[in-house]
Amino acid sequence: MIRRLVVLALLIGGAVLLEPLRAPTEGVIAPRSLFLFGILLLTADTFGALAHDLGLPRLVGYLVAGLALGPTVTGIVPAGVLEDLGMMKRLAVGLIGLLAGAELRMADLRQRHRAILWIVALQGATVLLAVWGAALLARQWIPFLDGLAPVPLLFVSLLFAATLTVNSPMVTLAILTETKAGGPLARTTLGVVLVADVAVILLFTAAFSLAQASLGGSAAGASDILVHLLREVLGAMLGGILVGGVLSLYLRFVKRELVVFAVVVVFATAAAAQALGFELLLSLLVAGFFVENVAPVRAEPLVETLHRMAVPVFVIFFAMAGAELHLETFAALWPLVVAVALVRMAAVMVGSRAGARLGGAEPVVVRQVWTGLVSQAGVALGLATIVADRLPVLGAGMQVLIVGVIAFNESVGPVLFRHGLDRAGEIITR
Amino acid sequence: MQTTLAALAVVAVGYILAYLLFDRLRDRYGYVGGAEYVLIGVLLGPRVTGLLGAGQVQDLTPIVSLAVGWLGMLLGTYFRLPTLALLPPEHVRTAFAEAVATFSAALAALLALFHLVAGQPWSEAVVQAVTLAAVATLSSPAAVDAFVDRARVRAPILPVLQLTARIDALVAVVAFGLVLAVFHQGEAAPGVRPPTATEWAVINVAVGVASGVLFHLFLGPRTTGDDAEGTSRLFVALAGAIVVASGASYYLNLSPIYTNLVLGFILANSGSSHRDVSRLLLATERPVYLALLIFAGAAWSPGSADLLFIAPLFVIVRLAARFFGGRVAGLHVAPPELRAPMFARGLLAQGGIGVAIAVNYTQVRPDLNPRLILTATILSVLLFEIVASREASAMLERLEPVERAPRQQTELGSAAHSP
Repeated sequence: MIRRLVVLALLIGGAVLLEPLRAPTEGVIAPRSLFLFGILLLTADTFGALAHDLGLPRLVGYLVAGLALGPTVTGIVPAGVLEDLGMMKRLAVGLIGLLAGAELRMADLRQRHRAILWIVALQGATVLLAVWGAALLARQWIPFLDGLAPVPLLFVSLLFAATLTVNSPMVTLAILTETKAGGPLARTTLGVVLVADVAVILLFTAAFSLAQASLGGSAAGASDILVHLLREVLGAMLGGILVGGVLSLYLRFVKRELVVFAVVVVFATAAAAQALGFELLLSLLVAGFFVENVAPVRAEPLVETLHRMAVPVFVIFFAMAGAELHLETFAALWPLVVAVALVRMAAVMVGSRAGARLGGAEPVVVRQVWTGLVSQAGVALGLATIVADRLPVLGAGMQVLIVGVIAFNESVGPVLFRHGLDRAGEIITR
Repeated sequence: MQTTLAALAVVAVGYILAYLLFDRLRDRYGYVGGAEYVLIGVLLGPRVTGLLGAGQVQDLTPIVSLAVGWLGMLLGTYFRLPTLALLPPEHVRTAFAEAVATFSAALAALLALFHLVAGQPWSEAVVQAVTLAAVATLSSPAAVDAFVDRARVRAPILPVLQLTARIDALVAVVAFGLVLAVFHQGEAAPGVRPPTATEWAVINVAVGVASGVLFHLFLGPRTTGDDAEGTSRLFVALAGAIVVASGASYYLNLSPIYTNLVLGFILANSGSSHRDVSRLLLATERPVYLALLIFAGAAWSPGSADLLFIAPLFVIVRLAARFFGGRVAGLHVAPPELRAPMFARGLLAQGGIGVAIAVNYTQVRPDLNPRLILTATILSVLLFEIVASREASAMLERLEPVERAPRQQTELGSAAHSP
């Protein structure tokens, strides 16, 4: 391990030595970005192994590596480089979405649908009510709520709570891939986070519309948002079915070079999603689900291919996510961030346990399912960005706090979930 | 919305139809190429559906550089010294004679074409001519290995054919790397003396050597390449190594293929991880090659009509140079027992490294007819891959097989990558 760290230090030193040999250049991808992307990958791989040796999930190592090299800490990988590499992140998100959808089997859903729906409903409701109540009670310490009139206060804090109901399909899938867990806890958690991913967008839409209307935004503005988000969801589903159909045709008639085809499909869908404004993760999730459960083809070759690609994809996604973490936000607001995160965590625990019990889940699921629902990552960050973009000033303040809470949950959640799987006896690969 | 979704459908259906069409070619003529992947690239790219705009094609640079470097590194791992030391000297002599003669003939013809016919100044003509001569010299080691493996006869010429394919690729990549270093494009930072041509050539090798030594240390004595998990981890480490080495070269406007060739050579000759590295690189060669073809298709554009005539002429030049090199080596250099006048017919497939060189050229020299170089290369690679397998079989039929064998034990193809 020390040898690897020395090599990384030498590589970074090499980058400094090479710097004067070329004048700075502008381009769509700056040449330096590529070099730094390689260093980010190697550092993430090294830190992942280190985390594994310490009994932590590898993705914690990837996140720490990204954080250490990112703009917040050392700045070795500056923000511009992360922007340059956006396509790589989209590729990672797309492949994870496809894998997640293909992992969601109808038989499992049928068998566990009661538990999944109860957990989604009660966890969502509990987190919403707990964070909403806590925000209202602590409004004088929350900068963007302080001084709001009663009605806006009510709805802006509801929006804040709605954003924090989101889970992380990425983290769940990364941990399940790493541990190869496939028991009741793993299956239930995966079902919950994927179903909740759709449900929460609708919840967020409603909360956003109410908040915007209460702040004096025009009704047209609120309905625009509703239409926009509904189009995002419906467009993603429609796009997903189309992509799923294409994948099925390919699996039926060609069934070769699946790695290349999967990458092409993700890039094409990412381009369509960007042009049409629908959500990439959801659309590929639907596509994967369609191929696995609806189309009359055998999806195993595709699933196996995606599993083989999973490790590099997770390294890229989480290393870049770590580099994009805003530690300065956490440093400035840490007491508030920790308080909100703990309230949310407690609500997740209470709500999901109650849901699992009412849904008739196995005792081990009742006890441990909450550990898989604490993490937050990409989807939550996306919603926080919408808030910041659409609600000037107030939205930016809310985004800062939400990003701080996400950073906390993204760091603590994977460790908790791995621990939960361990306690449930479902970890196959250590 | 409808337009974009329609574009998505066009790409998908076009791809599947193209695949089925080329599948027939594959069955009927033994076609091994990837024209359908170039086609999907063109369909995806800005010239047809525009699903991938020009900017988004550029956004794929990290993947493309990874692919380019990947093929360079794979080539480097073919040159494992303990295996090479066992080769008979006449094999090496024959292989080098073929490669140098082919390269020289192609270079002379292309220099005449660019300077005398197209009227380009010498300095520009040299860069383009050397690049295309390098592409012309290439013959695909993987395709030759596959052909030898399928042949199921033991003929003394076959190991020479395999070695020649590797030496062809070596000569091509070294020539391309050197021309980019010697005719270096780009300025140094203010206040820094720009390196001379020789210094750039040394820097190019030094980056490869330093990367090789560092990644030898990084991979360490033990790798867990036996299971899927270990292979994935090795994949991440190798991808990181290749992206770093390619990124350093790309940053300095040098050739990532050349740098990664040196990196691959060092990894293949050091430590205990060379077997895992070679196995992984070989296993992933085809997806990497196909990804490059898709990118080449998306980035393709015919370029200036004035110079477009060079593309079909290049195919003829390559054919002539290949046969010239084959005759020189097969008739005049090879010892009597290895004499084969139609030696070149076994070396027509160009493979991924040709596309990698052209794509790399478009990244490093966007100022000097990159579209022409890419067009000529794609045309040549695709055409030769249609006929390569058939021609190689025809060459084999003219040989007198010494012995039929269930599977070819070759001195390079299998030995270089056997455990």
